[in-house]
Amino acid sequence: MSEQTQMDTLAYSSRMLEWAPLGKLLFVISVLIVNIMTESILVPFVTLAIGLILMAYSTNFKIPFMIALAILEAFVILIFGAGVVSVNGDMSDPAIWDTDFLWMHFHMTETSFNEAWLILLRGTAGVAVMLSFATSTPIPYMSLGLKQVRMPVEVIEIVVLIYRYAFLLLERMEAMWNAASSRMGFNGKMTSIRTVAAIAIGIFIQSTNLSDKSQVALECRNYRGYFPVYREPAKTGVKWILVIIITSVSIYLFGMYTSDWVNMAELLGVA
Amino acid sequence: MMTLFEVRNVTYRYNSRQQRPSLDNITLDINEGRRTAILGANGAGKSTLFYHLNGIFKPKEGEVRYNGVPLDYDRNKLRELRNDICVVVQNPDEQIFSSTVESDVAFGPMSMGLPKEDVDERVESALDMVGMLDYRRRPSTQLSYGQRKRVSLAGALAVRPKVMILDEPTAGLDPQMAREVMELVDQMCCDGTTVILSTHDVDLVYSWAEEIIVLNHGELVYSGEPEEFFSDPEKTAFAGLCRPHTFSINSYVSEISGKEQTPYPRTNSQIVAKMAPEGSKGGSIRVVPTKDDMAPADFEGTVGVMGYYSKKTVLAKGIRYDYMFDALEMCMQDAVKGMDSLLYCDESMVNLAVDRIRSLERFGMKVEAIL
Repeated sequence: MSEQTQMDTLAYSSRMLEWAPLGKLLFVISVLIVNIMTESILVPFVTLAIGLILMAYSTNFKIPFMIALAILEAFVILIFGAGVVSVNGDMSDPAIWDTDFLWMHFHMTETSFNEAWLILLRGTAGVAVMLSFATSTPIPYMSLGLKQVRMPVEVIEIVVLIYRYAFLLLERMEAMWNAASSRMGFNGKMTSIRTVAAIAIGIFIQSTNLSDKSQVALECRNYRGYFPVYREPAKTGVKWILVIIITSVSIYLFGMYTSDWVNMAELLGVA
Repeated sequence: MMTLFEVRNVTYRYNSRQQRPSLDNITLDINEGRRTAILGANGAGKSTLFYHLNGIFKPKEGEVRYNGVPLDYDRNKLRELRNDICVVVQNPDEQIFSSTVESDVAFGPMSMGLPKEDVDERVESALDMVGMLDYRRRPSTQLSYGQRKRVSLAGALAVRPKVMILDEPTAGLDPQMAREVMELVDQMCCDGTTVILSTHDVDLVYSWAEEIIVLNHGELVYSGEPEEFFSDPEKTAFAGLCRPHTFSINSYVSEISGKEQTPYPRTNSQIVAKMAPEGSKGGSIRVVPTKDDMAPADFEGTVGVMGYYSKKTVLAKGIRYDYMFDALEMCMQDAVKGMDSLLYCDESMVNLAVDRIRSLERFGMKVEAIL
């Protein structure tokens, strides 16, 4: 099963599935914004805690291996990015670590070190919060939620159709991939490249065929130019707005109050 | 019998460069209430013909009449037509485009502008009929092929059309599910829907259809009762088809035993009844219309269940049963062996069951149908 399919399965089995999708989206966006509004390193910890708690509630931490691998991959990229930031300190500041490697010059300062930690924690917290949303909100739910903010119906329907047919094409691709493997299509680098290209062309042709046939099927089902919504998602009411405002303001104030509480360089004894 | 569709000299090409038309000067009638099957090899033009019946394709030459009136290809008129005529395409993936099972089934009734309560009722009953009620909130991406096929059928059932056109309804299904689908088709016929289906499966067609239409490379090869077509081996071969097993066995037996080929048996029970020694007496079949307050019958023989409401009731009440699928045919086979059986049956299917049981008499075996 592909990552997308696993994420979809996870979202549909989430305990937060019936929560207002737009409310969840706005909550995540506001938390992400507040997460980067203050300089306090404690704010990302709070954001991370919110993300992890929501994820725990949503999925019971039963995260499939492929998704866990994807999170790990994001984390590795974040570490690399933070590392680059930490060794690119202001040359006028005193260095806590300074070295040359090949043609590169590394200059780590207390400020760049703290900044790197802040970026790493903010990034990790952001990933956790976004995952809590992604693992609890299937795409069609989100698109229906967007309808409440007057998103054009055409856009929403395109999103839903892309979502629906992306899975079909993924399924076909998987079948073609397995068939190619069975016929030694991945035997050697050049053969593999040719096979992947053939699969890509095949998927493209199939997608055009599928769209033609689906058009006919739509007509057969008396399509009138719109997809009626059978079960409207929960609405984003006053409760949600209050939760979003209270959470965002609290985190912001907490961040302002604790902005100079923790110095990572001192805490880790590198200053 | 009223003629539902009149197809007159219809020719259709997908594009002007196409040398051989996909439908070539086709003229045929399809009657209301008759179980009609369209047979033909791949590329024969079966689907193209279907799409002419509900106005998806407009003939390049000729015309199609529905209830005696030529089709009007105006958008609003086509919508009215498609409320009456539902086409279920062969591949459910082309038909299911909503993200969850229930929203896809609700698509038709909602597009018809029905009130929410009616839509709910239709969605529930359609899903119940195809045994997918427990999956109503499941995403359509997470269904197996067989389940998707059922959902696509439920989508059509929810529209409650006057005419149901099924393109290869049993293709890709396991035998049990295929029988289930055919029982549903029978149920639709009993409820007054005219069902037209296309298939390659000659055995299925022979046991089910009252009339067949055979196409080959866009040309009409035959239209009428199946026996006449299958009696002509050249015509059958020309259409890229084979003779049904029951038909072939009947031919061989009549050649060996010198018995008349007629009446032609169409099912296993009928052929066994025909082959049984003269004067043999069959068992009996008690046909019990299922009711809500029904109590389990005190019965020793085999028990069959036919119809979705009966299945639901029997399962809910924990009533003993032996045959849940193809129950009528199984009970008839038991009766031919001299055994007695009981058939729980939906009210609307009682006449069909009794007629089929009594049909065994034509093959020399008296099986009693007790109501």
